[in-house]
Amino acid sequence: MTDYAVEMSGVTKSYRYFSLDNVHLKVAEGQIMGLIGANGAGKSTTIRILMGLVHQDSGDVRVLGHRMPAEQVEAKWDIGFASEDMRLYDSMSVGWHMSFIQSIYESWDDKYAQVLLKRFGLRAEQKIKGLSHGQRVKATLLLVLARKPKLLVLDEPTTGLDPVARHEILRELTNVMADEGRSILFSSHNTQDVEQISDQITFIDRGSIIDSMDKEMYLDRWRRLRLEVPAGVELPALPGIIDVKQDGRLAVATANAFEPDLANAYENTGARVQRIETMTLEEIFVANVEHSREEVEACEVR
Amino acid sequence: MRGSVTGHLILKDWRMNRPLLVLSIAAGAIGLAVVQWGTEPAAVVGSVWFFIALIMVGTMLPLGGIVNERKKQNLAFVMSLPISSMQYTTSKLVSSTGMFLVPWVTLVISAVLLIQVRHTFPHGGIPMLLILAMMPFVGFSLITAAALIGESEGWGIAANVACSSSYGLVWYFLSRIPTLMVNAKGPVAVWNSTVVDVLCVELGLVALLLGLTYFIQSRKRDFI
Repeated sequence: MTDYAVEMSGVTKSYRYFSLDNVHLKVAEGQIMGLIGANGAGKSTTIRILMGLVHQDSGDVRVLGHRMPAEQVEAKWDIGFASEDMRLYDSMSVGWHMSFIQSIYESWDDKYAQVLLKRFGLRAEQKIKGLSHGQRVKATLLLVLARKPKLLVLDEPTTGLDPVARHEILRELTNVMADEGRSILFSSHNTQDVEQISDQITFIDRGSIIDSMDKEMYLDRWRRLRLEVPAGVELPALPGIIDVKQDGRLAVATANAFEPDLANAYENTGARVQRIETMTLEEIFVANVEHSREEVEACEVR
Repeated sequence: MRGSVTGHLILKDWRMNRPLLVLSIAAGAIGLAVVQWGTEPAAVVGSVWFFIALIMVGTMLPLGGIVNERKKQNLAFVMSLPISSMQYTTSKLVSSTGMFLVPWVTLVISAVLLIQVRHTFPHGGIPMLLILAMMPFVGFSLITAAALIGESEGWGIAANVACSSSYGLVWYFLSRIPTLMVNAKGPVAVWNSTVVDVLCVELGLVALLLGLTYFIQSRKRDFI
């Protein structure tokens, strides 16, 4: 039986202009889950519910076996949380923050903290207000990582970072996963970052989870077929094809469950398959979101 | 676990606000020193300075420790720690009130002692001193309540403006109560029923505002 670090089922939360709708999300122990969504898709709300900071209207949330939000205190001992909108105290130093966290957590690993301090190019005596954005993010991550949490919840940690800082942080997160018992939930709208470190990916849009599966499965199953369509030939609706855009004799079909037979099916109708292209995670995300929105709009029209 | 996290948060607030506490005590002490010159202008300037010190610390503690913590997005950092929203509220109420009481008690006791020992003011003024000193305490409680419940800088500033503009008005009405003022310049401190009633109302307001804050916070479902 799989043990889950995070289990959300049927979670809803309504605000005046936004609602989270029937969210189901599972992160297995030892897994890195990337949560991808556009701005305002519901990533932060999902994470806040998961952390117990916001109470869901309905649905069940369990984190490391604790019911949330009722058992958030017990759960948070083993969760390392960092978010894009989290700031340390400007007037205090990095060292002061390290001592503060160390005074709370017995699990604090001072040797590792010193290693991270050096690796991230920080100095303990530096005040937070004197740090760049990238250094602040690194300082926050240092505080989270050095306490060795079982679950890392990172809400857009790489937003606004330069490529070097992003690379350093992603590398450190990959190192963290050397400890197989640890899990990471990593939200971002940057698909490149998520693709780099995640092994499971969930897409969220307009408050709903629209897809969730293994990263390799996404890359295997999604394809773009470039077709030449002679006059008089009509492209059929094929299972696994979620979108067809045609401009004159040229058409592009997007498959979310690609099988080589799909190409044969098109050829049999008289169309010619010019190319079959793999898709990047970003292209898969955009296609997925567009398809989901079209389906919702079609339902509303009906 | 190393001690209670609420305790750690209270200690953190104390460490971060030490300069403000020292500054407010020093400012109040300067006011008291000026009063000791014995002239009427010195008494007025010193008294005003003394009360400004109390009002200042009563305003800056909740605005700095609660409103700014939210505004500067430190709250997410605090809430990532193993605490509940009620433990956070408890830590803020305990630390803010405790910190406010340090300069308040120090300065009020110093003022009473100076009246007793140096006779700069008639002893009959001690009840009025306490009544006036309680006003910044009520103001502090109101600003703290607005800062915690309102969750925005706007509410904190509104409460601050309301308090600042009320001090003069409340003083005006208090000075119109004959039974309150009749003994103020006398040689002995008289604790008549009016004095006791006003002090009880002020203490009641402090308890009500802080208690109400705790109650309302305990019913909130969303914290950030």
